[in-house]
Amino acid sequence: MLTIYRLLLYLYPQAHHCEFSEEMLAVFGEARTEAWKKNMLVRGRFCAYEIKGLLTGAAREHIRTICAVDRPPVFFSRRIAMRSEFRFPKATVTLMSIILAGVVLAIEKATAIRVSVPDSSPHVGPIQPAHFTFLPTMLVIMGGACLAGAIGWAILFALHRSGLHRLADFDPASNQASGGRTHA
Amino acid sequence: MESLSVTEPVLLILLSLTERPRHGYAILQDVQEMSDSRVVLSTGTLYGALRRLLDGAWIERVEEEDAPRGRQSYRLTARGRRNLQLEVGRLKQLTRVAALRVARKET
Repeated sequence: MLTIYRLLLYLYPQAHHCEFSEEMLAVFGEARTEAWKKNMLVRGRFCAYEIKGLLTGAAREHIRTICAVDRPPVFFSRRIAMRSEFRFPKATVTLMSIILAGVVLAIEKATAIRVSVPDSSPHVGPIQPAHFTFLPTMLVIMGGACLAGAIGWAILFALHRSGLHRLADFDPASNQASGGRTHA
Repeated sequence: MESLSVTEPVLLILLSLTERPRHGYAILQDVQEMSDSRVVLSTGTLYGALRRLLDGAWIERVEEEDAPRGRQSYRLTARGRRNLQLEVGRLKQLTRVAALRVARKET
């Protein structure tokens, strides 16, 4: 079990793994010793709970690393602080089911009408495309996406070079107290 | 209140550290005891919360000379204590309102 736990710790981002893995392993060892004194049910529940905790913890840490957010709301339960968040209304499922049933019924009815009137539409030959346009269109779209990406990157790079992002850390009070002097 | 959200496990971890510094396993046991085994933290959940609390400077590590390898203790910082007091005050206010509303509904 310790070996599995040690391997699962590698799912965490590198920084978290370096900082906490040894400690987590030690704490897990102590908790496991305690759980192993009890019956099989407790042991099984303990293992399942630990594995679940590790997997969700690792996922949360990766999301935090990628998105630089402290709390992905999806993974947090047992909240005390109640905040207004969007919730998918349960009535939507019923409405969507009714709409789906309506669409299926309409298709069935249309099929029945088409079968009852076999020669209602005149025969039309195969449609030949005037030009093969798929590949050029895709190339244009990809070119446009690359161009938009390059422009976005250039803007971000220019902002970074200008030091504009440091304005968020600027504290006018401390700057005033130090006589407006800045230190490198 | 700082940007860190106080979930129930986080609140229990903070409460566990109010009396004295504790190491990871002691926090797990204390949280379980405080909540009458309703909240059982896994090590993954515990260290995720500890990491966020360390990042927010709500808690800090305590250097112990004779601590065994892999055992690290944590204690509340002044900032953590202040935020905990704010959170407890907020919960008190919430329970007061809740009690009033429930009593009003019952009468």
